Amino acid sequence: MRNTWIIIKREIKERLRTSSFWGLAILGPIFLMLLIFLLFHFGESQKTKWKILVADPAMVMENRIVVSSSDQFEFDFLNNYLETNDFVKGKRYQSYDGFLEINEKVLSNKTAFFFYKEKPSLKIQTKLHYLVEKRLEEVYVDELTDISLQKFREIKQPINLSFRNVLDPKNQKSDINSWVGWVFGSIILFFIFVFGMTILRSITVEKSNRIVEVLLGAVQPKQLMFGKIVGIGMAALIQLTIWITLIGVGMFIFREQFFQTVNDQALSGNLGTNSGIKDVFGYTNILEYNQFVELIFQRINFSVMLFYFSLFLILGYLFYGTFFAGLGAMMGTESDGQQYVILIIAILFIAFLSGYFTAISPDSSIVQWLSYIPFTAPVVCMVKISQGYASNEIYQLFLSIGILLLSIIIGLSIAGNLYKRGILRFGHRLHLKDFFKK
Amino acid sequence: MIKLEGISKSFRHKLAVDDVSFSLEKGKILGLLGPNGAGKTTIIRMMNRILFPDKGAILFDGQLLNQKHLQHIGYLPEERGLYKSMSVWENIQLIAQLRGMSKADITLNYNFWAEKFGIETWKNKRIEELSKGMAQKVQFICTVIHQPEVLILDEPFSGFDPVNIELIQNEIKTMRDKGKTILISSHNMKSVEELCDNVVLINQSRKVLEGNINAIRTERGENIYAVRFKGSMIAFVNALWIGFELVGKEEVAPETFIAYVKMRNESTFKDLLKTVIDEVEIEAAWKVLTSMQEIFIQEVAEK
Repeated sequence: MRNTWIIIKREIKERLRTSSFWGLAILGPIFLMLLIFLLFHFGESQKTKWKILVADPAMVMENRIVVSSSDQFEFDFLNNYLETNDFVKGKRYQSYDGFLEINEKVLSNKTAFFFYKEKPSLKIQTKLHYLVEKRLEEVYVDELTDISLQKFREIKQPINLSFRNVLDPKNQKSDINSWVGWVFGSIILFFIFVFGMTILRSITVEKSNRIVEVLLGAVQPKQLMFGKIVGIGMAALIQLTIWITLIGVGMFIFREQFFQTVNDQALSGNLGTNSGIKDVFGYTNILEYNQFVELIFQRINFSVMLFYFSLFLILGYLFYGTFFAGLGAMMGTESDGQQYVILIIAILFIAFLSGYFTAISPDSSIVQWLSYIPFTAPVVCMVKISQGYASNEIYQLFLSIGILLLSIIIGLSIAGNLYKRGILRFGHRLHLKDFFKK
Repeated sequence: MIKLEGISKSFRHKLAVDDVSFSLEKGKILGLLGPNGAGKTTIIRMMNRILFPDKGAILFDGQLLNQKHLQHIGYLPEERGLYKSMSVWENIQLIAQLRGMSKADITLNYNFWAEKFGIETWKNKRIEELSKGMAQKVQFICTVIHQPEVLILDEPFSGFDPVNIELIQNEIKTMRDKGKTILISSHNMKSVEELCDNVVLINQSRKVLEGNINAIRTERGENIYAVRFKGSMIAFVNALWIGFELVGKEEVAPETFIAYVKMRNESTFKDLLKTVIDEVEIEAAWKVLTSMQEIFIQEVAEK
C-alpha cells in the first residue's frame, strides 16, 4: 500500500509539473466560459441603434409606432412609395439602416416588408416584428372593430401550447435539462479520453525508457498499474476542481455583471403579460437570451449534478482507465497499437451518441439498457439524472452504479493480468491474439 | 543468502530456464555467465520477483523469497531506466522510498554516494541533461542507496569508460568486503576474473558449469607455467628436454623474456625450474590459469 501511494504521488507530481496540465486547467474553463458567454449573447446585434425609415404611403400607421422613445430604434416616416433602388442610391437615405414598407392593404393581407442593409439579429427582428404588429393591432381595432384595444388583446392572446409528457406533468424532464446532463456526460467523456490517453502514454514511456524494470524490482505490477491509474485520476480531479472553481467564479461574475437585472426580473415573475410595452419587452428580452441564463442560474441543481458528475467521472475513468492501462502494457512501442486506441475512442464516441439519444428519446426502452452498460452508463446516467429519476425508478440508478463498480473490479483484474504479462515485453508489434495468450 | 532450487521457467512453449540451482554466499561475488538468450535475465528477474518460476523455489535466508525481501535487494537491470524529466535527486529518492527508506536516510546516503562519485552538483539536474555515463552513475546509486544485503547487477560495467569501470569495480569489492552478497551478470570476462569468487555458467537454459573461479580456471588449465627470466632465449629453449614444450614467449624488456611452457608426461613445475635454473636468471614463475573467456567459449561452443 505504501508503495502504491508513492507511485500515486509520483504520478500526480509528474502531471502537475507539465505545462499542458496547467494549460488545460486554466484555458479549458476560460474557453468554456467564453462559449457560455457567446451562448448568452447569441443573436445579440453588434449595432446598438437601428435607424429605420417607414415608407407608409397610405399613412396606415399615422406616422407613429407605439414606442415613442427607444434606445434601440429610431423611426422616420415617409408618406410615399419608395423603391429599393432609390433607397440604396438616394443620398438622403444613406443614414438609414433599413426601410419598412407598409402597403395600403396591410390590414387585410397582414404582410409588410423590411429591407435592410445589414441583416438584423434575430432579437432585433423579433422586436421590430413585435412593434409593427402592436401598432397595426391598434389601427385594426380602431378602424375595423368596436371593441377596445385591451379587449382585443385579451381576445387575441396567443395560446401557449406547451407539450408535456403525461408521466412528467410538471415538465421536470424538460429537453433543456436533458442537454445539461448531456453536457456533463460529455465533459466526463472528455476527461476520460484526455486522462486515459495520459495513462497509455505514461505506461509506454516507462516501457520505452526501461524504468519499469527498476520499479518492478520493488513494486508489484498490479500495484504499479493501480498507482498509475489512481495517480493520474487524482491529477484529473485536481484539474476538475480548478475547472469547477474557475467556472463557478466566472458564472458568479456573469450573473453580477451582465445578467443581474434580467435575472431579477425573471426571478420576480414579472413576465409582462399585461399590455405595457416595456414589460412585454422585458418578457421578450428574457425569453430571447435568458432561457439559457435561467437554466444556468436557476434550473440546474448543481449540488446533485456535481455529486453525480464526480461519482460517474471517477467510476467511468476507473473503468476506461483499466482498458488504457492494459493496452499500454501490451504495446511494444509508443507508436504501436494505434488501432486499439481508435477502438477505445470509437467506444467513447458511441457513449457520447448514447447520451444524445437519451436526451432526445428519454423514454425509449433502449435507454434503460444503455444506462446499465458500463461503457455508456456514465453519460446516459448523467442525462437521466438531469431529467430526473422517478422515485420508483431510482433503483435503476443504483443498479447502473453497481454494475459499473463490478465492471471496474473485473476490468482491474483483467488489466492487471495483461499488465503483468505485457509490461516487460518490448519492441514487438501488438496483435489481437496477444491479448488472449497465456 | 539466496538459494535457487531447481527453478524452471517457460514462456508459452519456450523453455527459458531449465532446472537451475545455485547459491549466493554471504560476502562472496558470484558471476552469472552465459551467452545471449541463455536465460540469465529470466533468472535475475525471478530473483527479483518480477517473474515467478514455474517449478522450483528461491530462498532468501532460508525463507521463500517474498515481497518484503526485496527491500534487502539492490537490482541494476541490464536495460537501464530512469525518469528523464525528473531530477537526479527525485529519481534516487523515488527508488529509495520504494525500497522502504526514510527521507532522512535517503539524504544521508545520497550525500555519501554523491561525494564518492563526485556528483554533488548534479542533484537538481534532470536526467535528460546528463550524458549516458553520468546517468549510469545515478542508476548505480539508485541500486545501492538503500544499503541492500544482496546486490544483483546485470551488466554493471556497460556504458562506463575504463576510469569509471575501475571506480565501480572498487565499490563492488568494498561492498563484498563489508559482507554484502553480490551477483554479477556480465560478458566482460576480465572483470569477472578480477571480481568473482564463484561462477555459474548458463547455456541453453541449463546450468553447465558452477564453482570457485580459481578452481575452475586451474582445473580447466593445460598445465602451462610461465617463467620470467633474464638471459638468452636460445639457452632457455636448449635447456628444455622432452618433458616440456615451449608454447609461447614474449620479450618484456631487453634480454628479459616470459616463456610459457607446457608440462609433458610426468614432468612437474619443480623439474622445469631445476632444468632451466642454471641457464638463465629466473625472476618469477607462475602457473598460467585458463581465462574465463576460453572456458566460456569452450563450454558454449561445445554445446
